[in-house]
Amino acid sequence: MKPIHLNLAARPYRDYRPVYAAVVLMSLLTAFLMLNNVDTYYRYVHETKATRAKIAQRETQAAQERDREAISKRRLGQLDLVQLDDQTRFINAQLAERAFSWSVLLDELETIMGDDVRLISVSPTFDPDGSVKLALSFETKSANGLIETMNRMHAHPKFQNPFPSNETMLDGGGYSFVLTVDYLVQPRQIANARTVAR
Amino acid sequence: MIWREKRILLILLGLLLAANAIFFFTYRVQYQTRLTDLDERLDTADKQLESARAARLQAERQYQSYIQIQNDVKEVFDEHWSTEDARLTLMLAEIKRLGGASNLVPRSYAFDRKAVESAPTVSGRTRKAEIGATEVGVGFSVEGSYEQVRRLINLLELSRQFVIIDEIALNANKGQALTLTLHVKTLFRDDAAARPRVNNQRL
Repeated sequence: MKPIHLNLAARPYRDYRPVYAAVVLMSLLTAFLMLNNVDTYYRYVHETKATRAKIAQRETQAAQERDREAISKRRLGQLDLVQLDDQTRFINAQLAERAFSWSVLLDELETIMGDDVRLISVSPTFDPDGSVKLALSFETKSANGLIETMNRMHAHPKFQNPFPSNETMLDGGGYSFVLTVDYLVQPRQIANARTVAR
Repeated sequence: MIWREKRILLILLGLLLAANAIFFFTYRVQYQTRLTDLDERLDTADKQLESARAARLQAERQYQSYIQIQNDVKEVFDEHWSTEDARLTLMLAEIKRLGGASNLVPRSYAFDRKAVESAPTVSGRTRKAEIGATEVGVGFSVEGSYEQVRRLINLLELSRQFVIIDEIALNANKGQALTLTLHVKTLFRDDAAARPRVNNQRL
C-alpha cells in the first residue's frame, strides 16, 4: 500500500530562519554601531564646541589684527618719510650746535694752552654722528708753541687727533699756526639734541 | 532562493551596516586623533593671532613714532624757530641786549640769509631736500676784556632765543683788550611752503 503524502500548505514551505537570523544579527550590529556613532558624534561636537569656538574667535581676531595692521601701514605710506627724515636730521644737527657749550670749550682750551700761546679763532664743524671737529688758530711767541699745544691736546681726554694745517712765522716775531682736532662733547649735549626729534 | 526573496531588506541592512562601520572606523577609532588635530588647530590659531597682533603692534608703534617725530619737528619749526616776521626783530634785540649786558657794544652788524635747501643723506650723498627753513646769520665785532667776552658768550648760550654761536675769532689788542669777532646764526621756519604736514589721524 502506497503511503499517502498529503501537503496541505497553501504555498511551498521555505525555511527563512537563516535569513531572519542574518537580519537580526545585522540589525543588532547596525544598531550597536549607530548608537556608538551617534554617541561619538555628539560627544565630539559637545566636547569640542569650546575649542572650535576658540579657534573661530582666534581666527576672527587674527583677521581683525591684520586689518588694523594694514590700516597702520596704509597711513604710514601716506606720510612723507623722506622729507621727515631730512627735517629730523637737520633739526638734530642744529640742536647739537645749539647745545654745544662754548663756555666749556673755552675752559678746556685754557687748560691746554701754554703761557705764550694765544687763541685767535675757533670754528667748529658738527658731523651728523654728533662728533665735533674744531679748526683752531693760534699765535705763539715760541717756536715750540705748535708742538707744545699738540702735546697738551694729546694728553687731554676731550681732544683727539690734533693735526696741524699750517704754521707761519709772523713779521713782528712769533708764529701763527692752525690745527684741527676732534673735540669730544659731553654726552649730555648730544643726548639732549637727539631726544628732541626722536 | 530565500536570500533572493529578501534581498532588498538584506541590501538595505548591509548598506546601513557598512555605512555605520565606515563611520565607526574612520570617526570613532580616530577620535583621539581628531581631538589632537583640533588642539593643534587651536595652537596654530593662537600662534597666528600672536603673530598678527605683534605685526599690528609693530606697525602701530612705527606709525605712532613717526607721528611723534612729525609733531616734534612741527614744535621745533613753530615754537623754537617760528617765522622771520615773528622772531627776527626779537632775536636782534636780544643780541643787542646781551651785548649791552656784557658792556660790549658792537659798532656794526653784518647780516646774511640763506635758504636751507639740501641736507646730506646718511650715505653721504647730497640731494635737494625741502627742509622748509631759512638760516639768518649775524656777524659783529666787539672790544673788551676776556671776562667780558666770556660773559657775552655765556649769555648767548643761555639765551631763550634759538641762537647758535657759529664762529669765534679773537684778536689781542694793546693791554688786556681783545677784539672778539662773533658770528651767530638762527633758523626760521619758511611760511607754509615746506612746513611739516601733520597728520592728525589716530588709530
